[in-house]
Amino acid sequence: MDRVFWLQGITCNGNSHSFVNLSTLPALLKNIEFIYHPLLESLSFSKALEQNFDILIVEGGIKRDWQRGGVEFEKLFLELASKAKRIIAVGSCAVYGGIFKEYDKEICGVLFAKEEKSHYFEKFKDKTINIPGCPAHPEWIAYALIYQKPHLDDYFRPKELFAYTVHAGCTRNEYFEWKVDAKSFGLKEGCLFYEQGCQAPYTHGSCNKILWNEVASKTRVGTPCFGCTEPDFIQRDLFQTKTFMSIPAKMPLGVPKRAYLTLTGVAKSFRIERLSKRLIDD
Amino acid sequence: MARRSKEERKRQIMDEALRLFSKEGFFEVTIADIAKSLHMSVGNLYNYFSSKEALAKELILYISKLLGNEIRKINLQPISAKEKIKKIVQFYFYTAKERPELIEYFLRIYLSHREVFKEGCEGMICVSPFVTEIMIFFEEGVRSGELRDQDFFSAFGLFMGYLGGMVFLMGEGMLPNDIEYYIEDISQNIYLALKNG
Amino acid sequence: MIEILEKIEGEAEVEYSFVSGEIKDVVVRFPHYRGIEEILQGRAALDALVIAPRVCGICGHAHLQAAAMALERAFGCKISKKAKIIREITRFAEIIQNHIKWFYLVIFAQLHIPYDFRKVHQAIVLANRLIALFAGQSPHSSYAIAGGVTCDITHVELLQAKAIVQEIEEILFDLLGEFDEKQLSKDLAKLFEALKSKNLLQIGKSLDRFITLSEDSVVKNVKILHGKRRKTSLRFVQERAFEGSYAKGVLYRGKFYETGPLARMMQMDLPFIKRLHRRYKDSITTRIFARIYEAKLLLQIIAEHLDQIDLNEPSYIPCKVVDGMGYVSIEAARGSLIHKVAIKNSKIANYSIITPTQWNLSNGTKENPSLLQKAIIGLRDREKANLVFRSFDICSVCTTH
Repeated sequence: MDRVFWLQGITCNGNSHSFVNLSTLPALLKNIEFIYHPLLESLSFSKALEQNFDILIVEGGIKRDWQRGGVEFEKLFLELASKAKRIIAVGSCAVYGGIFKEYDKEICGVLFAKEEKSHYFEKFKDKTINIPGCPAHPEWIAYALIYQKPHLDDYFRPKELFAYTVHAGCTRNEYFEWKVDAKSFGLKEGCLFYEQGCQAPYTHGSCNKILWNEVASKTRVGTPCFGCTEPDFIQRDLFQTKTFMSIPAKMPLGVPKRAYLTLTGVAKSFRIERLSKRLIDD
Repeated sequence: MARRSKEERKRQIMDEALRLFSKEGFFEVTIADIAKSLHMSVGNLYNYFSSKEALAKELILYISKLLGNEIRKINLQPISAKEKIKKIVQFYFYTAKERPELIEYFLRIYLSHREVFKEGCEGMICVSPFVTEIMIFFEEGVRSGELRDQDFFSAFGLFMGYLGGMVFLMGEGMLPNDIEYYIEDISQNIYLALKNG
Repeated sequence: MIEILEKIEGEAEVEYSFVSGEIKDVVVRFPHYRGIEEILQGRAALDALVIAPRVCGICGHAHLQAAAMALERAFGCKISKKAKIIREITRFAEIIQNHIKWFYLVIFAQLHIPYDFRKVHQAIVLANRLIALFAGQSPHSSYAIAGGVTCDITHVELLQAKAIVQEIEEILFDLLGEFDEKQLSKDLAKLFEALKSKNLLQIGKSLDRFITLSEDSVVKNVKILHGKRRKTSLRFVQERAFEGSYAKGVLYRGKFYETGPLARMMQMDLPFIKRLHRRYKDSITTRIFARIYEAKLLLQIIAEHLDQIDLNEPSYIPCKVVDGMGYVSIEAARGSLIHKVAIKNSKIANYSIITPTQWNLSNGTKENPSLLQKAIIGLRDREKANLVFRSFDICSVCTTH
C-alpha cells in the first residue's frame, strides 16, 4: 500500500477538490493511503512530516520566499521530494508554474517553468510524472497514482492521457470538419475554433474522452477550451480566436498550414444543409 | 507522332483547348474542333475527357496548380512581404503576357461562366491550390507584422481584383504601355494598401 | 502564541493572547497572496471569466458568476430568465457540495465523530456532477459569460439533473434525517450530542449582527441589527487594511457583521433556525446547523428551478464589451462575495474582490471587535477556539486571492 503525501504550494486548491470528485475514490483509498491531504482524513501537517511515504503529490507552484506550515516552502519541497520514491506534479501550477506565475515570475513547477526546465529538473526528472490541467482531472491523478512507469511525452505527461487533443471526442466535430463556426455563444451548433477562441485542436488532453465529472466537458457545454494543460497557459484574449487575415494563428496539432488551408477551402465550398441550421427545430 | 504517355497527351489536349478557347471563344469551340486541331479522333479524345465540362474543370485545376506552384516558390523564399508582392505581380503579369490563354481562361471563362463549373468546382475547390498559397502569403505577412490584419477577402479582392483588372485592360488592348511597365507602381500600390500602420 | 491553522482551504496564522489562562485577543493573518487582481489588470475584459474562478478551488463558481455579473453591469447587458435560473442551479450546487465537505470533513473530523465516508463522498461527487451538466466541469468552469451561459441544454440534461438532485436528497436524508430540533436523529443527533457532551453548545457567540448584500431568488440584500431588518447597499461597504496580513477587513457603515449561511437563514424566518437561535444565539451550534440546513434547502430550490426552465429561451443574449463600471455582490458558500470591475478601452483597468471570509475574520479593536474576536475572546482553551474559528467555514485562498 503506497503512502502518499499531498503537498500544496502556491495554489487555489482546485486540484485537491477535483481529486475528491473521483467517483471511485473509496476504492482507490483501499490501495493507497494519504498521510497528508488538504481535505481528506489524514495526519496533521507537522505529524505527517515525520512519516515515511512513497509518493509525493505536489499541487501548486514553488517559490523560495514563501511558507507552508511555518516552514520555508522550497526547503520543504526539496526535503520531501528527495525522500519520495515518486513525485506526481498535479495541476498546471505544479507542472509549469501556472496562472500565478503571471503575477510572480519566480514561481515555477517541479520540472518546468513554462516551457523551460526548472532548476529542480535534473534532480527529480527520473521520478516525476506531470499531470497538468487547471485543474487536473481526477481520473488522470488516479492514473498517475497507480501506474508507475507510463510512457511520457516531452513534458513528462503520460501519453495515454495526453497524446490526444481535447478536440478528440468533441461533440462539435462535424462542425469542425465542415468549417461551420458557432454563430454565437449559447448554441449547441457550431465549432468554437474559428471565432470563440477554442484551443482544443492543439491542446493535449483527454477531456472529451474521459469526461469531466463523468458527464461533460467545456466544449460540450459551449465553452471554448483554454489550453490549460499546456505550458503557455494562461494566455490572453481567451474568448477570441487569434487570426492573421482570418486564418487561425495556430493550426490543429501536427497539421501543416498548407494541408489545413487546402482542406478548409474545399470544406467551405460546400454548404451542408444539416449543419447550417439548428439541430432541433421547434 | 511519337508515343507519348497518357499524362503528356492529356496536357497536350489541355494546351490546345486553351489556345482555341482563347482564340475562338469557349462556347464556339467544340470537342470535335479540339480533336481536329490535334489530328486525333473525337472518340480518342473522349478517352481523356468525358465531356467539355470535364475538360473545362480540369483546365481550371491545371491553371490553379500552375499558378499555385509558382506562388509557393515565392512564399518559400526568405524575403519580405513587400518583395513577395512584387514577385507575385511580376510573375502574374509575365504569365499574362507570355501565356495569355491561361489568365484569360481564368478571368473570362472560369469567373464569367460559373454555371459551367457548378458541379465539382463548388466554391474554392478548383482554385484551391492557388488560393491556398495566397492565403499563406497573407497569413505570414500579417504574422510577421508587415501587413495589416483584416478580413481575408477584403485583402484578396484588393490584390487579385487589381491584377485581374490590369490583365483585362491588356486583353482589351487598352493599355498604352507593355504590362510589365506597370509592375513597379502596382506592386507599390498594393503594398501601401496592405501594409501595417 | 501563534498557531498555524491548516485545512481551511489553505492556512492561516492565528495569534492568541492569553491573560491568566483566558484568551484576551486574537489576530488572524493570511500569508499567501497570489495577485489575482494584478493578473486581471490590463487584460481583455472577458478574460476575467477564466481567471476569477482560479481564486478558489471550492467556490470558484461563485467567483465566475460574480465576474460575469460585474461585466454585465459594466456593459449594460441583460440575461434571459433561463440563464438566470441555470446560473442559480449551478451556484447553489456549489454551495451544497461546499457545505457537505465542511460539515463532515472539517466539523465531524474536528469533533472526532465517525461518519459514512462513502455516502458523504457520493453526495459530493453528485453535487459537482450537477454543476458539470450545465457548466462542463467542476471545479473551474467558465460557462457563465457576460450575456448568459454557454450551454444549450436539452431535456436530456434536465432529466439527468433531476435524477441527481433526487439521489443527493436521498443520501442526505439517509445521513441527516429530519431537521426537527425536538427530534434530531442520525448524524444531526450525533453532532448535537458531541457538542453537548463537550460543553460546546453555547460557545462562539458573537455580535449577533448579520448581513447579506446580494439578492437572488432565495435571499434579499438585508442586514439584521438588534432584530431589525434594513436594506443594504454596496456603497456603505468599507475595506480596511491590517498590518502583516494580505487580507483586508470589511465593515458596513463602521460595523462588523456576520455574512454567510447563518445570515441568510436568519432573514428567512425558518422555524428550525429561529428556535435554534432563540436558544443558542449565534453560537457555533446555530452556525453549524444553519449551514447544513442550507444545503437541504437549496437542494429543494434546485428541484423547483429545474421545473421552471423554458428551453425555448435563449441561453445567451449578445453582449458587447464597452467601457464602464460593475460593482456587484453574489451569495457564495461563505456569504456575500463582492466583485468590482472597471473597464477602459475594452480592457480591465481595475479589479477588486471582497470575499465573505474577510467579513467574518477581520481584525477589529477592543472597542469594535470583529466577529471572530468577539466569538473567541474569553475562551480558555485553544482547541475550542479553533473549533469556533472553523465554525465560520474559513476560506484562506479566497481571503488572500
